[in-house]
Amino acid sequence: MQLAGKYVLHAAPPKVWAALMNPDTLAHIVPGISRLEKTGDHTFNSILDIKLGPVSGSFTGNLQLDDLQEPNAFTLKAQQNSKIGNANAAVKINLSPIGDSDTEIAFDGDVKISGMLASLGQRVMGGVSNTLTKQFFSNLEKELAKTSAS
Amino acid sequence: MSTNGLIGRAVKRVEDKRFITGHGNYTDDIVLPHQTYAAFVRSQYAHARILNIDTSAAKEMPGVIAIFTGADLAAVNGVPCGWQVNFKNGDTMKEPKHPLLVADKARHAGDAIAVVIAETKEQATDAAEAVKVEMEELPCVVDAAKAVQAGAPLVHDDVPNNKSFDWVLGNPIEEVNEAMDKAAHVTTLDFVNQRLVPNAIEPRSYNSSYDPVSEKYTLYTSSQNPHLIRLLMCAFVLGIPEHKVRVVSPDVGGGFGSKIFHYTEEALLTWCSKKIGRPVKWTSERSESFLLDAHGRDHVTKAEMGFDANGKIVALRVKTYANLGAYLSTFSSCVPTYLHGTLLQGLYTTPKINVDVTAVFTNTTPVDAYRGAGRPEATYLLERLIDLAAHEMDMDPAELRFRNFIPPFDGVQQPGYQTQVALQYDSGNYEGVLKKGLEMVNYADVRREQQEAAHNGKLVGIGFSTYIEACGIAPSAIVGSLGCRAGLFESAQVRVQPTGKVSVYTGSHSHGQGHETTFAQIVADKLGINLDDVEIVHGDSEAVAFGMGTYGSRSLAVGGSAIMKSIDKIIEKGKKIAAHKLEASADDIEFKSGNFTVKGTDKSIGFGEVALTAYVPHVYPKDLEPGLDFASFYDPANFTYPFGCHIAVVEVDKETGKVSLKRFIAVDDVGNVINPMIVEGQIHGGVVQGIGQALFEGAEYDDNGQLTNASYMDYCMPRADDFPMFETASQVTPCPHNPLGVKGAGEAGTIGSAPAIVNAVIDALWSGGHKVKDIRMPLTPERVWHAMVDA
Repeated sequence: MQLAGKYVLHAAPPKVWAALMNPDTLAHIVPGISRLEKTGDHTFNSILDIKLGPVSGSFTGNLQLDDLQEPNAFTLKAQQNSKIGNANAAVKINLSPIGDSDTEIAFDGDVKISGMLASLGQRVMGGVSNTLTKQFFSNLEKELAKTSAS
Repeated sequence: MSTNGLIGRAVKRVEDKRFITGHGNYTDDIVLPHQTYAAFVRSQYAHARILNIDTSAAKEMPGVIAIFTGADLAAVNGVPCGWQVNFKNGDTMKEPKHPLLVADKARHAGDAIAVVIAETKEQATDAAEAVKVEMEELPCVVDAAKAVQAGAPLVHDDVPNNKSFDWVLGNPIEEVNEAMDKAAHVTTLDFVNQRLVPNAIEPRSYNSSYDPVSEKYTLYTSSQNPHLIRLLMCAFVLGIPEHKVRVVSPDVGGGFGSKIFHYTEEALLTWCSKKIGRPVKWTSERSESFLLDAHGRDHVTKAEMGFDANGKIVALRVKTYANLGAYLSTFSSCVPTYLHGTLLQGLYTTPKINVDVTAVFTNTTPVDAYRGAGRPEATYLLERLIDLAAHEMDMDPAELRFRNFIPPFDGVQQPGYQTQVALQYDSGNYEGVLKKGLEMVNYADVRREQQEAAHNGKLVGIGFSTYIEACGIAPSAIVGSLGCRAGLFESAQVRVQPTGKVSVYTGSHSHGQGHETTFAQIVADKLGINLDDVEIVHGDSEAVAFGMGTYGSRSLAVGGSAIMKSIDKIIEKGKKIAAHKLEASADDIEFKSGNFTVKGTDKSIGFGEVALTAYVPHVYPKDLEPGLDFASFYDPANFTYPFGCHIAVVEVDKETGKVSLKRFIAVDDVGNVINPMIVEGQIHGGVVQGIGQALFEGAEYDDNGQLTNASYMDYCMPRADDFPMFETASQVTPCPHNPLGVKGAGEAGTIGSAPAIVNAVIDALWSGGHKVKDIRMPLTPERVWHAMVDA
């Protein structure tokens, strides 16, 4: 499944970059995340609880931030396993400045899913991913607002 | 001849009492003492190497009795394929092992990696989830035409180009090419006959047990042919003695072909039951049914039909890629070949035909016979071509058919019709069914309405399908010469009890067809007794001597004929007994309406008294054995060839592409009819299934080999409110070579209906100036809309 979209955040790229690279922030803003454990400079183990229409499951696996070009771009790689199916994603993320204080985040990638996730959840995958991405960015927005207020 | 008029009467189905009152007895209802339950660990991936299986945590889970993996079954055979097809060069088809559990790699999503057996189903399911399987996902291939291309991933490492076989039938290709080159017009169609999920309402279920004292196995299986399962499992898979195995198929909730085949779970559970010394049961989840019940169809075809200047067909050339899925299912190899290529004569006098089929492995669920099996594919091909040709040549599609029909022949006065593709049709009156169909639909009126609708900006279309099928499967010698590894006769035992009541043991199996009624009608009619006095016993290898089961619209034509043979033997012996009692010669005894009478006198005794005499033989012929009980085997002389004409009238919404089915006319000639209500029910069900393929159904795989619509939320099944009242009629051209003159009705509806619908939609689009050649089934509003907009 293709995963692509754009989102505008009210903060400059370096600030957005810092937030995205901070495991504590990520643990707050990733929807459904119940555990995020740093295993290397840019690798994490994670547990995510996600509901996809008729199927829901707890995904365990790893996240990796790759091809880091601070503060412009990186690739998020995820290998997540669950009883309802496995997901394998590679998403390229670009940060471009808009004026002085805003950033446009563009993401584009591919998610491969298998098992029940594919056979039962595929129909709602698009919708659920949209909701989750929106949630992620609105959480990120709130997080950025908090840090600028403090 | 009929003696009490039960044959031909719409008797209500005797089996319905238990079904509609909830007293059916299905395999999953059977719970044996010390019952255990199985659950499977299945591959999520379509193609992946197994690196490691860790069962240690699962083994410690509550209630777990045993866990087996592919390694435990290394010495056990896989399930066999029942039909050998050879490559064009004479080599035997590639038939890689279809293991009960995969040990090296999974070849389709859902392939079984391990089985967990526990005290309860829930415990087994929980423990199956705790089995850790490490897999390396491999590139996969799902499309048949792509699978044969160089560099495609190999489903089986030792099968080059994923080709199970290639196969050709008909006239030499040079002759067909020459005729095609000379044709005044050639209609070409590239199309897909999509993959379908069979969707029996009762999921597959098995319960297998082993008794160490008697050393006997008992397998309860939701199957269309318990004896065949016993034969395949004993002789080919497990190597256990057949006389030590009882296979029972109790009530079965639909099959549509998908329960013909010997599935891996049947043999595996039987193997497990001996290993653990307790009965093991497994009932498929619906999501497992979608992934594992053998699918149907899945052909990618290019077909060309050549016509002379008068619209006579001069040649037919066909190239098909048939997707067989990851393994050869029991009859998969004969479906795209001997049940498809052999039907490409259709109802037409086409003098030159060549059909070329390449059968291919892919990383998908195995594909096998599904209601109609091969014949819907052949009918779709021919009927789409001829309707499209009519559009292209600006001719009337009915008229074009009349010009090409094989003239009527009864198979008695006139000989059978020898086709260019191996078969010899038994009897037919093809123009008859089309004439009747045209009358019923009021053809001229519908065409007028179509023109008016076009003036008012509406799209109305009428589509035809005049089909033929080969049923009554099958004459053993013929199918043997074509590669079938079994005889396809049928057995029947008719046992007259001392009180004159009759038990019939038939090798046919009823799973919706109503045999308990139809067969009883035949027996009661022929013996002149009440319907209530006949009991039909089927589905138990211990009760019924032998059987080849139910598929290919064969039960009445083959199983019914076997019953007729036994009835004849009973009447003949009854005459001898009656003659002795009446002090006459057996030659002078006639049997009518349940009475044995000395010809030309009123001296007579009833069937009941003859039966009692046979078992209490105090006054009895010296040279005659007691008893009135005969077994027979019937091997048909030929296939039977039902045919018919289906006509659809549709309206297509210009704005949305939605197809509304306005009328559906089905004129079917299935030979003599025993129970017209049951035949009509079979036609209705078949038509719905065929229209389901045309408008709603289709298994969709993504590029990773994942079946993306494996639930009723995503796989669209036809529903009653999708249909108008069907207008049905029958024509009777008796089969000349079986004692009942019957041809079979189980598949007719599915075979005939789909092309009529698609032709009607295409016709509607042409009426609005959209010269569309093809729309891929199912004809969803989106596809129809795109076809209109893109044309």
